[in-house]
Amino acid sequence: MNARMDTTDACDLRFGQVGIACVRVRRVDAAALCDELERRVRAAPQMFARAAVVLDLSHLLALPDDGAVDALLEAVRSAGMLPVGIAYGTSETEALAKRMGLPLIAKFRAAYEPANGGPAPVETPARAEPVAQVQREPILSAPAPGSMQGAQQHAGSVRSGQQVYARDRDLIVIGAVANGAEVIADGNIHIYGGLRGRAMAGAQGDAKARIFVSDFRAELVAIAGQYRVFEQIPDDLEGQSVQCWLDGEKLMIAKL
Amino acid sequence: MTAEIIVVTSGKGGVGKTTTSASLATGLAMAGKKTAVIDFDVGLRNLDLIMGCERRVVYDFVNVVHGEATLKQSLIKDKRHDNLYVLAASQTRDKDALTQEGVEKVLDGLSEDGFDYVVCDSPAGIEKGAHLAMYFADHAVVVVNPEVSSVRDSDRILGLLASKTRRAERGEGPVTQHLLLTRYNPARVAIGEMLSVKDVEEILGIEVVGVIPESENVLTASNNGIPVIVDVNSHAGQAYSDTVARILGEERPLRFIDVPRKGFLQRVFGG
Repeated sequence: MNARMDTTDACDLRFGQVGIACVRVRRVDAAALCDELERRVRAAPQMFARAAVVLDLSHLLALPDDGAVDALLEAVRSAGMLPVGIAYGTSETEALAKRMGLPLIAKFRAAYEPANGGPAPVETPARAEPVAQVQREPILSAPAPGSMQGAQQHAGSVRSGQQVYARDRDLIVIGAVANGAEVIADGNIHIYGGLRGRAMAGAQGDAKARIFVSDFRAELVAIAGQYRVFEQIPDDLEGQSVQCWLDGEKLMIAKL
Repeated sequence: MTAEIIVVTSGKGGVGKTTTSASLATGLAMAGKKTAVIDFDVGLRNLDLIMGCERRVVYDFVNVVHGEATLKQSLIKDKRHDNLYVLAASQTRDKDALTQEGVEKVLDGLSEDGFDYVVCDSPAGIEKGAHLAMYFADHAVVVVNPEVSSVRDSDRILGLLASKTRRAERGEGPVTQHLLLTRYNPARVAIGEMLSVKDVEEILGIEVVGVIPESENVLTASNNGIPVIVDVNSHAGQAYSDTVARILGEERPLRFIDVPRKGFLQRVFGG
């Protein structure tokens, strides 16, 4: 046979879901942080010793200076964990991460940039949040650069395993969102069809974002990080046209 | 003239891909089309058994892909139909033995030999073997059973067909999708134990091209190495004939999707 090059790729590059613990810093106190983490590591060394962690500074009222962040990172290291990145907060965090030589780890469920320079997010009450989540699966149809920032449209079904993300705008899906599919928008989400998968609006923390669905059978809906999973869909909502919005920190769902 | 390539796929195992491939290929041949059916399930080959040619495999698909045998040497002519050929998988190799270039070469070779249709019997899963089976397809027959896990896997496959095929990559228009519901039991649908045709169509958002009723004849036919479509007396065989006709563009109403009504004598004497 003729000498054919092996055309299989030398490697696979993909976004996967990896478990990275997230250290949400509530006050800038390196010593206290070190103590706290050391206690956690001692309690469950198999879980936490040399665990990869990202530092989430988004819940501090103001971003600490470089020296303080260095101290925090050092505190994490001396507690026995390995800081591998900084969670995405604002553009300042991005600059900070650059100076620290660490990657920014973006996650969809964190509360991001405070709206129009309003007050920085105050601590949300502790609630079980999935550990930091990195982007998964290929993201379909990223918006064309320079295009008008109207809503992003997706015509046709979003199939199981697919993810559609509308950055900085609304998302309109004309078709069904299947079981195991995910639609995400920084703005509102409109679905003209069945929602059997997950929908997350206000992914960067816009608490005013809403979700509209013409045939509701969702696995999960979330707005600005407040989410609700449906093991059993309430009878009065199943198959109905509904909208979801945030009332304070409560995720409301009602028939249209 | 290039051959039309049809992949029979599902994601999930055990839903009836190989049974469907065998009957579809046989049906196309019976309709006068020169047809080849290729087993992509390298390492777990089954198609040769269902086609009843397991004792006549000398060279297989992997041999042709690696240039160790010619297409002519490897194609096994069907006993019953003159224009039907089988290309068996290798039982001793694994899926990595297939390459994209090799598969393309085989498919091009079949086109040159004047084949009208090539049916690719995909392995289960969404890994290399399944990917290669669907990559060059013009049509896809997605086989689904009326139960939720099969429906979800089919949904995943439908998504992959829209993105991970040569047609999608070259922007040549979508792969034509045909949804085939197999192992359908109208009696169990009626009492709510199985998803109905309507449920499946609604969840997946496409119409079915055929519904094959659950039938003992399928197992008997498989064990005897005869594609069930040849058994014209069985409901499953007739349903496959209808399906092939629809894929060829004919319109036929769906049959065998309602609970059969018992005749008067059966009602009186039971049975």
